[in-house]
Amino acid sequence: MDQELLVRQIMQEVLKNMNVQSSSAACECADKVTVADYPIGENKPELIKSASGKALDELTLEGVVNGTLSAKDFRITKETLELQAQVAESAGRGFFAVNLRRAGELIPVPDARLLEIYNALRPYRSTKAELYAIGDELINEYGAVVSGNFVKEAADIYEKRNRLKK
Amino acid sequence: MRSKRFEYLDARPVNQDGYALDWPEVGFIAMNSPFDPTPSIKIENGVVVEMDGKAAADFDMLDAFIAKYAINLDFAEEAMATPSLEIARMLVDINVNRAECLKFTTAVTPAKLVEIVGCLNVLEIMMGITKMRARLKPANQCHVTNVKDNMIQIAADAAEAAVRGFAEMETTVGIVRYAPFNALAIMLGANVGRPGILTQCAVEEATELDLGMRGYTAYAETVSVYGTEDVFMDGDDTPWSKAFLASCYASRGVKMRFTSGTGSEVQMGMAEGKSMLYLEARCLGVTRGAGVQGTQNGSVSCIGVPAAVPGGIRAVAAENLIAGMLDLENASSNDQTFTHSDLRRVARSIPQFIPGTDYICSGYSATPNYDNMFAGSNWDADDYDDWVVIQRDLKVDAGLLPATEEEVVAARNKAARAIQAIFRELGLPEITDEEVEAGTYARGSQDMPDRDVVADLKAATEMLERGVTGLDFVKALYKAGFEDVAESIFNIQKAKVVGDYLHTASMLDSDFHVISAVNSPNCYEGPMTGYQISPELWEKLSNIRTAVDPSKIG
Repeated sequence: MDQELLVRQIMQEVLKNMNVQSSSAACECADKVTVADYPIGENKPELIKSASGKALDELTLEGVVNGTLSAKDFRITKETLELQAQVAESAGRGFFAVNLRRAGELIPVPDARLLEIYNALRPYRSTKAELYAIGDELINEYGAVVSGNFVKEAADIYEKRNRLKK
Repeated sequence: MRSKRFEYLDARPVNQDGYALDWPEVGFIAMNSPFDPTPSIKIENGVVVEMDGKAAADFDMLDAFIAKYAINLDFAEEAMATPSLEIARMLVDINVNRAECLKFTTAVTPAKLVEIVGCLNVLEIMMGITKMRARLKPANQCHVTNVKDNMIQIAADAAEAAVRGFAEMETTVGIVRYAPFNALAIMLGANVGRPGILTQCAVEEATELDLGMRGYTAYAETVSVYGTEDVFMDGDDTPWSKAFLASCYASRGVKMRFTSGTGSEVQMGMAEGKSMLYLEARCLGVTRGAGVQGTQNGSVSCIGVPAAVPGGIRAVAAENLIAGMLDLENASSNDQTFTHSDLRRVARSIPQFIPGTDYICSGYSATPNYDNMFAGSNWDADDYDDWVVIQRDLKVDAGLLPATEEEVVAARNKAARAIQAIFRELGLPEITDEEVEAGTYARGSQDMPDRDVVADLKAATEMLERGVTGLDFVKALYKAGFEDVAESIFNIQKAKVVGDYLHTASMLDSDFHVISAVNSPNCYEGPMTGYQISPELWEKLSNIRTAVDPSKIG
C-alpha cells in the first residue's frame, strides 16, 4: 500500500503541470450475404425490413413528417443483424459477427430492462442467483440463448473472483 | 554561479513538463519491461489451459475472457511458435500484405503482441500503421464542447468543423443535465456543415446508451476498458458487463467502439508491475473478445503518464499499431493536453499524422482550448491553419480541409438559425437573434451571451420526459423550413435500421454512402499503393487562404 501511495504521488507530481418485438418474417435469403453484397442498404436493400415490417423504401422523410412513421419503424431487426454478421464473417471478422448475433437476440428486450441488466452485470451488484435468474429470463422470455448463457458465465466468474454482491 | 544557458533553458516550456525515470517494478515503464510475462499458450481440446506463463486456474477475469474469446485458436500454436522478430519484420515488409499479417497477429497472446511491437523502432511502427490501419482513407474526429454548455455555440462550432473536414464529432457536458441539448446541437450543427457526419455525446455509460436509444447520437465511444482486474473494478465494470453493453448498442443499430490506453493502470497505482503497453494489449484483447469493431486508444486522457517516461510516445504509437494488428478500427487519441511545449505536442502526433489512422485525433478540439471540456486537447481551433499547412508541407491527408472565412461564417450562421428554429418548434427556451449572431462570429464561449441555465436544464429534462426522439428533431426541422438538415438527420436514423455503418472503421460520405474497412479496406503494399491523395483533393489541400497565386501578381 505504501508503494501504491508513492506511485500515486509520483503521478500527481508528473501530472501537476498539466420495446418493439422483432419482425417475425424469416430471412428470405437462402444464400449467405458476403462482402460483395455490402453495403446491403445499397446493394441488397430488398433484404432489409424495419422492426415494424416496413421495407427500406417505405422509410421516407415524408412519412416521418406527416406522422405515418414512428420510432418503432426505425428499429433494426434480428434478421438484419444476421445479414451484417454474415458480411462480418465474410470479411474475416468472426468475433465481431458473434457480437452482432448476440445483439440480434437482445432486440426484443425493452430499453429499460436492457439498462437494468447491464447495471446488474457490473461488479458487486448481483448475487449469483440473481444473475442466473437474468440468464433464464433472457433465454426463456426472449429466446436470447447466447446472451443468457453469457450472463450465467459471468456469474460463475464473478463468484470465482469474489465480485458478487456481498 | 548559474550557467546563463541553463537558466534560460529552465524557463523553456519543455521544462514545465513532468518527467520521471523508469520504475519497472511497479509498472512505471512504457514497454519492454523485464517484468512483462513471457509469451506462451497451451491449448487442450480447444481450450486455453495456459497463457503467457499463467495456468488457467490462476487466470484473473481478463485472462479468462481473453483466453476464451479473443484469440484465433485455430492458428494460435503456429503463430505463437513463430519468432516475434519474424512477425515484426512482416509488419514492415511490403511483400507481406495486411491479411497475411493479420493471420499471425490475431492468433497471439497479449504478451506476444507486445514482444512483436517491441522489436520495432518508431519509424517501423509508423510503417506498420500505414499497412495495418483498417480503412483505406484516413479521417479525423473533433471535440465540440464549451464551458457554458451553450448549444448555439456547439451547433455553430460543429458546422464549422464539418466544413473543415472532420468525419466524426464528439461532445460532452459541463453540467450532466445539459446532455440532451448538447447531443442535439452537435448532431444538428455537424449535419448543417456536411451531411453524414456521425456524432456522439460522452457521458456515463448507461446514460450514453439511453441517448443512443432515443436517436440523439449516432455512435458511442466512451466505453472504457482497463488492463488489470482491480482497475476494471474501479471503473465499475467487468469484461462481461462491457461486452454485454457492446451488444446492447448493436441491438439498437448504434455503432460503438471501446476506449483504453497506456498509463491508466499505473496512474491508479494498480499496474501489477507490468508495463503500460502490456496492460494496453490486454485491454485490446478484451475489446476484440467482446466483438467490438474498434477502439479509441493511444493513452487518451492518461497521456501525461507515458509521456513522462523514456520511450513513452513510441509506446503510444505501438498501442495504435496493435489496434490495427487486431483488425480494429483505431481512433488514435491525440486528444489531451500533456505538454507546455508546442514542439513536443507536434512530435507526439507525428506517428499518427503521417501514416494516417482511421481517426487521427479523437478528438481535435473544435474550440479554443479554454472551451474543451475533456480537459483540453493536444490540438485546438486556434491550430486549424497550422494543421492544414503541415498537411500541405508534407503532402499528407490528415483529415482536414482549408476553409475560407465566408464559408465558415455561412455554415455557422445556418447552424445557429437551425437550432434557434428547432428550439422554437420543440417548445424549448427561446434562442434570440442576438445569440444567433454571437454564435455566427464567435471564437469561443467568452463571445457568447449567458443563458438562463435553470430554465434550460428544466426544459432539457422535460424533453426527455416527454419522450422526444431523433424523429421529432426531423419533424421540427422540416416544419421550420430546414428541410435539408431534416433529411440528413432522417438519413442517420435510417442508417441505424440498415446497420451497414456498424462495421469496422465506418464513416458516411455526404450522400450517406458507408465507407468502411469492408468496402474500402486498406490495401497498402508499398510505394504507389494504398491510399493516394487524388489530384482534386491535392488542389484543395494546396490552396490555403494565405497562399499567393503567382499568376495574379503584376
